Amino acid sequence: MDCRVKLGNDANEAIQFDRESLSFFDKKHPTLAGKVMGTFIQQVFNGLTVGGIYALIALGYTMVYGVMRLINFAHGDLCILGAFIGLTLLTGAAGSGHSGAVLLLCAFVLAVVVIAIAGVVLELVAYRPLRKADRLSAVVSALGASLLIENSIMLIWGPDVHVFPADLLPAITWTVAGANITFVQVMIILASVVLMTALYFFIHHTRFGTAIRATAIDQETAKLMGIKVNQVILTVFVIGPALGAIGGLFVGIYYREAYFTMGWTYGLYAFIAAILGGIGSIPGAMVGGVLLGLFNAFAAGYISSSWQDAITFALLIAILLVRPTGLMGEPDAGKV
Amino acid sequence: MSEPVEKQSVPSVWRIRTLSGPLLWAVGLAIPAVFDSSWVSIAAIFAIYAVSALSEDVILGRGGMFDMGHAVYFGIGAYVTAILNSSFGLPIFATLPAAVLLSAAAGALLAGPLMRLRGDYLLVATIGFNSIFVLAMQNDPGGMTGGSDGITGIGFPSLFGLPLASQSAMFWLDWVVLGIVLLLMRNLDRCEFGRAQRYLKQDELAATTLGVDARKVKTQAFALGAGLAGLAGTLFAVQLSTVSPASFVFTESVTLFAVVIVGGPGSIPGVLLGTALMFVVPQIFRDFAQYRYFVFGIAMIAVMVLRPQGLWPQRRRRA
Repeated sequence: MDCRVKLGNDANEAIQFDRESLSFFDKKHPTLAGKVMGTFIQQVFNGLTVGGIYALIALGYTMVYGVMRLINFAHGDLCILGAFIGLTLLTGAAGSGHSGAVLLLCAFVLAVVVIAIAGVVLELVAYRPLRKADRLSAVVSALGASLLIENSIMLIWGPDVHVFPADLLPAITWTVAGANITFVQVMIILASVVLMTALYFFIHHTRFGTAIRATAIDQETAKLMGIKVNQVILTVFVIGPALGAIGGLFVGIYYREAYFTMGWTYGLYAFIAAILGGIGSIPGAMVGGVLLGLFNAFAAGYISSSWQDAITFALLIAILLVRPTGLMGEPDAGKV
Repeated sequence: MSEPVEKQSVPSVWRIRTLSGPLLWAVGLAIPAVFDSSWVSIAAIFAIYAVSALSEDVILGRGGMFDMGHAVYFGIGAYVTAILNSSFGLPIFATLPAAVLLSAAAGALLAGPLMRLRGDYLLVATIGFNSIFVLAMQNDPGGMTGGSDGITGIGFPSLFGLPLASQSAMFWLDWVVLGIVLLLMRNLDRCEFGRAQRYLKQDELAATTLGVDARKVKTQAFALGAGLAGLAGTLFAVQLSTVSPASFVFTESVTLFAVVIVGGPGSIPGVLLGTALMFVVPQIFRDFAQYRYFVFGIAMIAVMVLRPQGLWPQRRRRA
């Protein structure tokens, strides 16, 4: 019937992310105790890997919220745009004879540069004109930017799931107490730790970091102290998306796929991580990311996976109700 | 805030303003006589989403509460009608009260915990509820919701033994419901509840000091908004004759949210204009369907940057 129009985003439906892939390493083990232990260690490593990715993306949400009190709904989509840009370079240069590591490094650099520029453009076009406007206007502008980026990805790369090349990194797997730990997992965990440590030192031990923290506490006073608030906000829109692009590319490499609605899926998880840790708090985003990653891995490993997302959202609502400032949030984060 | 307080306006202008709405609605009744069936169905979709958007306006625009999970209440209404009609064989009009009451109850129930949250936290919690609702419908609890495919084969309503099966008849039903809801919204501006909402939105502390029961008014707003959304949900289930989780995903909530903010919160013509832009225009340009959200994204940023108060802002009135 002509009048019966299909509403809603079909593509969302078509490409439901299968969280069970998290536990695809499970193997048969000789003893029950060994199997329990192996599964446990496996889930810890799976959780740390995903948690590191969540944390990298969550940092972008929390830094923007910290200085502007704005949920940057477009952040998750920016991250996945980074994954697509990296993927394009990887597939385009596949036959060029360079080694996988070199190609991967180029992909990361390209994705970081492009997404940092995109972040700055986003702030200048969609958020700066609304800084003095009603909060809701900025929220709708952010949602508009999210739809714009997500659908730009769909129009450029198509609605299909893209597969990441498999032979970029050595396929080494270590077996620890019956758990299989891959090279990719170790790389992601190490890279996340290094990046987050670097960010922590930048924020807490440099003059510019102090300026960012001062702006987050009180923009007006920071301005009076001679801090160039616009410059601070622009910096936040460079660092956040840059880290997010790395996180997005990790998502693609780890799950070996990319699709245009992925930004929403991972963006939301990272955002929950930011709230869990206390939105506006940088260490909070790191802790929240790792905790949520572990929670997800154990939920996927031990609880039914079809209700796993519902459990995560219920957890989110429970945190909001019991402790809206999160685990490490500043007391003023709840100020509206 | 700098707009001058309206003086005693010229009576003829006042009359045009008050009469143009009902007049436009009455002209709308003739749509099936003038246009072909595809346009009639577009007009019916407009009426359904207009009711839905106006119900979101009760909570978001008038109540100032950031509800980004409004598709939940719309969905509850649609699913209640679908289940009662297809599994229990109840006539559509008999499912209507159940759909409205259950949605309203869900709204009032969720309002309890939600009310403790403000601003962005409320926004995030409602997103969470929306996601849980969609997952629950997909997981098919008790074999009632039909999983991802949803429920098909919903019947058409009949009035006094007269089946409203044709597209025109369904359009008139939707249009009459829209008219009733519009009347309700107009009266809402003037009644005690509406005034209390305005006080609360402008200054909650002052309003509660003056004796406004914030808790009660906010719960009522959620119940009324959710109930009206449930009503729209019933019409939606009848119009499409099928109900599936995809129609109530977060993107739909975002669209309803954007309709209110882009159109003009608290402004009836603004919300109707927003509905027309977000739901009707994509139906007309169906050949460019894949550009729909791309264009929406640009439009949402552009409208907010150029007109942060919305396309057709609410007239300032003395509260």
